[in-house]
Amino acid sequence: MKLAVISCIHGNYEALNAVLSDIDAQKADQIYCLGDLVGYGPYPNAVVEMIRSLDIPTCQGCWDEDIVEGLNACECSYPSQLAETRGRLAHEWTNSVIHPEVREYLATLPMTLKLDNLCFVHGSPSSQHEYLLPSMDGFAALERVLSADADVLFCGHTHVPYVRDLEDAALSVNVQQPDQTESPKQFQVALRQIVNVGSVGEPRHGRPNATYVLYDTDTAQVTLREVPYDYAKTCLAILEQGLPPIFAWRLARGMEFAERADDPTHVCER
Amino acid sequence: MTHWAILSGIEGNLAAYEAVLQDMRRQRHPVSDLYVLGDVIGLHGDNDAVIQRLQSPRSSEWVPQVCIGWWEEQCFSLHGLNSSPDAPELMAQFGGDGVKRLWESVSRESVRWLRSLHFGFHELDCLLIHGSTVSYADELTPDTPAIQLCDRLVRADANHLFCGRSGQTFECWVTPTRLRSTVTTLDGVQDPQDQGKTPRRVVGIGSVGRIPGQATYTLYNPESDRLNFRTVNYGKAKGFGATIA
Repeated sequence: MKLAVISCIHGNYEALNAVLSDIDAQKADQIYCLGDLVGYGPYPNAVVEMIRSLDIPTCQGCWDEDIVEGLNACECSYPSQLAETRGRLAHEWTNSVIHPEVREYLATLPMTLKLDNLCFVHGSPSSQHEYLLPSMDGFAALERVLSADADVLFCGHTHVPYVRDLEDAALSVNVQQPDQTESPKQFQVALRQIVNVGSVGEPRHGRPNATYVLYDTDTAQVTLREVPYDYAKTCLAILEQGLPPIFAWRLARGMEFAERADDPTHVCER
Repeated sequence: MTHWAILSGIEGNLAAYEAVLQDMRRQRHPVSDLYVLGDVIGLHGDNDAVIQRLQSPRSSEWVPQVCIGWWEEQCFSLHGLNSSPDAPELMAQFGGDGVKRLWESVSRESVRWLRSLHFGFHELDCLLIHGSTVSYADELTPDTPAIQLCDRLVRADANHLFCGRSGQTFECWVTPTRLRSTVTTLDGVQDPQDQGKTPRRVVGIGSVGRIPGQATYTLYNPESDRLNFRTVNYGKAKGFGATIA
């Protein structure tokens, strides 16, 4: 079976349409979505309605959670006061235009989805806010996959796609307790994978193209897809809706400097 | 020479804390530093008395370095001082009676002092913390999966993680021997990296006040890396015994 996994659409209807067309052309059997349907972009309702109409299994992302529960992340979400101001503007705008039934739908989304040995999350199995960066320590990354009881963990949130093979792991543990004999143990794990599917609507890999992933469950082959679309239309709509112009600037370049979190490994505790 | 006494879980049990202080004074190698890794308060003792004892050590006594534990977080929650109001964890585990007892047994002044405490301490190549960097509630035990212990050590950014949440005394060496990591991006495949690391360990430091009549705590020499798990019988049990690891 060929799966298409998408994430981080962020109200970008143009990008979603282009990606759906590409998925159709690639003849995928099933689509999974890893959340962040809303936020930053100008078409949050249209994006959610499209996902719902196609009955795509979807996890809740951190922006979706904010629309359901209110913006109550700790200050760690923002690297600067400017970024915080822009983030709040985007949240408040989205919150003001979102339809009640869309909000209700976002509230029903699960944190994780499973399909056999595959697990789908927005950030990590621990938190929607955790960034699984490719530079993360290998054993910590392996723990995220194993904690999900999966062989392959699909995630988004960073907006930069990658595949990480974690192979031939070996770990030994020796427990010593008072009045008990030592109990050494060995653990070995052959292969686990983290697949970050990038971002449909707010890419940050250095080009403005939308990104997503194809996965063949029979061969375990992962294909990173990059899809050009008319991002200028979305940029124009961002400006017309009065959203911060920097959102259009970075969408046109597919990059992100100012909003990058200082400590992406920090997990926000609400 | 540096010798640390590391303890947790006084839980309002002043007699247990006094017994531990007495045991510390009896050590052949003098204790140089005292760390208290949370759970100073609890449901069954005199919380304010313990807090006052920690705040005002007698002359020639150690000035304790105290951090926050599970019970302190429940107290903050009751007082609206953290992000989770109404102490749902406390309510789930101890019900309305537990909530009432904790609320009544810690004065406002004590709560203010507790709120000023640290989340944990990085000292030398050690992290001293109640649970782990993941959470004050994270309970590491000898039965915790190896990969999870490894993850907590990586997150701790330390060679030795001292924790008190479980109340158990144990030493668990974790050796992440090897792991090959290969990252593929849109720009191609990067060179594989071996992520093996040197051995590091999680230490459960025991609990001073959880079991009436029997306090456990840990002595640590950072220069030799030696641990000494102490068991102190007090009250009706009397006598002092030690288990050395």
